Amino acid sequence: MTRFDISRRHLMQMGLGSGGALALGTRGLRAQDTSVALQLSWLHSVQFAGSYIADERGFWAERGLSVRLDAGGPNAPVEPPVVTGTALVGVSAADYTAAAVQEGAPFRIIGVAMQNNPFAIASLPDNPVNEPKDMEGKRIGMPLANMPVLETLCTLNDVDIDQIEVIPTQYDPAPLVAGEVDCLLCWSTDLPVAMYVRGIASVTMLMADFGYTLHSQTYIATEDSLANRRADLVALMAGEVQGWEAYRADLDAATDLTLARFPDAGLDRPTQIEQARRQVPLMFSDLTDANGFGWWTDETVAQNIETLALLGMPVEASLWDRSILEEVHG
Amino acid sequence: MTAPAAFARHGAAALGLLLAWHLAAQALAGSHMLAGPLDVAVYLATHHALMGRALIVTLENAAWGFLAGNLAAVGLALIVALMPRTRVVVAAVALVVFCLPLVATGPVLRVLYGPGPGPQITLAALAVYYTSFIPLLVGLRAAPASWFDLIRLYGRGAWTAFVQIRVMAALPYLMAGLQIAAPAAFLGAMVGEFTGADRGMGVLSIRAMRGLDVEATWTIALVAATVAMLAYGAIGALAARLSPARPDILLATAPAPAKGNPMLRGLGLAMLTALVVLALWWALMEAFALSRFFAKRPDDIWRYLISAPTAAANRATLWAASVETLRLVVPGYLAGLGAGAGLAMALVLVPWIAGAVLPLAVALRSVPIVTTAPLIVLALGRDTLGTITIVAVMTFFPALVACIQGLRQAPGQALDVMRIYATGRLTQLWHAQIPAMLPAFFAAARLSVPAAILAVTVAEWLATGRGLGALMAMTASTSNYNMLWSAIVVVAVGSALGYALVAWLERAVMARVAPEQLRG
Repeated sequence: MTRFDISRRHLMQMGLGSGGALALGTRGLRAQDTSVALQLSWLHSVQFAGSYIADERGFWAERGLSVRLDAGGPNAPVEPPVVTGTALVGVSAADYTAAAVQEGAPFRIIGVAMQNNPFAIASLPDNPVNEPKDMEGKRIGMPLANMPVLETLCTLNDVDIDQIEVIPTQYDPAPLVAGEVDCLLCWSTDLPVAMYVRGIASVTMLMADFGYTLHSQTYIATEDSLANRRADLVALMAGEVQGWEAYRADLDAATDLTLARFPDAGLDRPTQIEQARRQVPLMFSDLTDANGFGWWTDETVAQNIETLALLGMPVEASLWDRSILEEVHG
Repeated sequence: MTAPAAFARHGAAALGLLLAWHLAAQALAGSHMLAGPLDVAVYLATHHALMGRALIVTLENAAWGFLAGNLAAVGLALIVALMPRTRVVVAAVALVVFCLPLVATGPVLRVLYGPGPGPQITLAALAVYYTSFIPLLVGLRAAPASWFDLIRLYGRGAWTAFVQIRVMAALPYLMAGLQIAAPAAFLGAMVGEFTGADRGMGVLSIRAMRGLDVEATWTIALVAATVAMLAYGAIGALAARLSPARPDILLATAPAPAKGNPMLRGLGLAMLTALVVLALWWALMEAFALSRFFAKRPDDIWRYLISAPTAAANRATLWAASVETLRLVVPGYLAGLGAGAGLAMALVLVPWIAGAVLPLAVALRSVPIVTTAPLIVLALGRDTLGTITIVAVMTFFPALVACIQGLRQAPGQALDVMRIYATGRLTQLWHAQIPAMLPAFFAAARLSVPAAILAVTVAEWLATGRGLGALMAMTASTSNYNMLWSAIVVVAVGSALGYALVAWLERAVMARVAPEQLRG
């Protein structure tokens, strides 16, 4: 990445770069930009629209930063590229970050995009799960990897987990629609949206409403970056904050931008706009209205630590480092 | 058969298939499992541009991987041809590397390469090199001694002999390998996209699966299968032009003649292979200075599974997942082999069904399992039947092709004698053709071991969420890389053991029915 900039600068000094600079557009002229990467946690979609806005509207460029947005996927863990420095920042979640820290990764959470955890129990209206107690006697479809999540939800709500039949499925709404299971453990912003767009009504019980407090879509960086690359981190997070505020202000524009930017990703507008709508209440709250996007308080961290302890991942409050956000919002 | 008659028959078969597909889709309407031919046509008509762009991306990566993988296969085969003593170890190490599970190698490759098509190309290459390497090995040795005598008579050296005889003799075998490799490369490139890509058929199929977009899923499966079949046909046509004489036995590499105690030899080979693999593992990680956070070394795994206080619990988790996987992979593997051999025999008895059955078999093999695994599991049940079926589909095709070839090896004179004595078709099959088929059958059985493992882990990962496949996916996302690498070791060792077991069975059966095959 840095190598690119040097060669570009060389070319321009030698007067040979005009063609290249033209081809690269105006951003190509900013030879002094620092290049960093942000590792996303999933395939490109409106889930990361704030970042696309930050890029397209130059919120990073005006801070001297050029950010490459690396797509994630079902077989693309976020943590390794951040540990190795391929990406300066990664979009993780509090539980994944805690697990990585247990395994020795030197991570800190420097921002929280989703104040409310998107995990939900989706069911069909004629056999609904409106509260955790309703799960008793039902078949739930979920990856076995999420057992600790279900156990935690049951502990928090006094539900007898032995009364629930767990059917291992992967991330796919079909088993619910086909009647193979009565409910699914999923994100409120994806499988229910898929069903909605296909004209299948569903009931979504957000786990965050029943005590499952866990930050999601958390920005993580290494301790080394926090010590030595503060300026880049501040610039990156400032662009993110500005991008997500713009997202909230105009969901349609954010959706259109996403669709235009990734014409080959197989995205469709009805799904994307619905997902964009449904993630707003997860990302913005009174807390962020008062303090700014990405914020947290000692109180929310304490609740997170409690949930993580139930998940079998004891962490310290020092896992969260607000110094970057304080500089951004300062 | 005249050309128009054949055409009519193929046409009727295709129409029949389409009708069956349409009726099945009608019967399952509303279940979001199967999209009919009309739905697929409508989807293609409205999304052809998107599908075309995705196809080009994935095809390009698959093509580069196909090229790289086959070059690697040729390189390995040359090493073995020039230094025959290395044969057994090179083949064993190549097998272990081929058995590394995609679920686990994907993320590691992504970190190694960073963004871009690197993992897609590498996974495609890894998916093809072994199935090209093995036929090449056979091909390079498939020259009669008299040809070499001829070269010597003309006073030419070893190099001429190599180029004029070995390379030429190996060509048809290489082509046979390339044919099998084409769908595998496409699948590898698609799975590579799961490690983080902007576009391609793999990206579209993830999107379709989660979006309950059955039309898209089936269109992707169909387009991918069509492309794979076209590649299969094109390579077949090319092979026919280059060397009209097809190789006699497609895949069979005669088991090495046993010298001394076979048990001891096997043990020695296993130790040597393990040493080479461990050294490669270590050296690669050190050479690229991979972070110990995710790139675990052999000593990390030793601690995790043997010497750490939690080792017993770790082993128990791994063991439970392995047993679960084994319970599915063994029946699926046996069913696939049985179906392949059974169908090949049916084709001998009732030759005219070949026109309908063979294209269907190629199609089944060409459909990328990452797209269809979730649907098959949904349709057939996630307990056992779905996964067993997926494994069977993956092992069925190599067995079928090899057995058809093998059945043709029955000596003509023997069959003539039987016919003169008015021996029934079944008796001919039993006494002449099946014994002739066995070497090819066992060769396919050996080659299918890694394919079966691939199928079961993919099904567990994408559809059922249990066993080793799910364990590997889960540990990668929760940063439990010690467990991930331990699972890789189990899968690689298990596949190699399965391969060795089949080879041992092969030797035992051959010694009874076809001892001439065992002569060196």
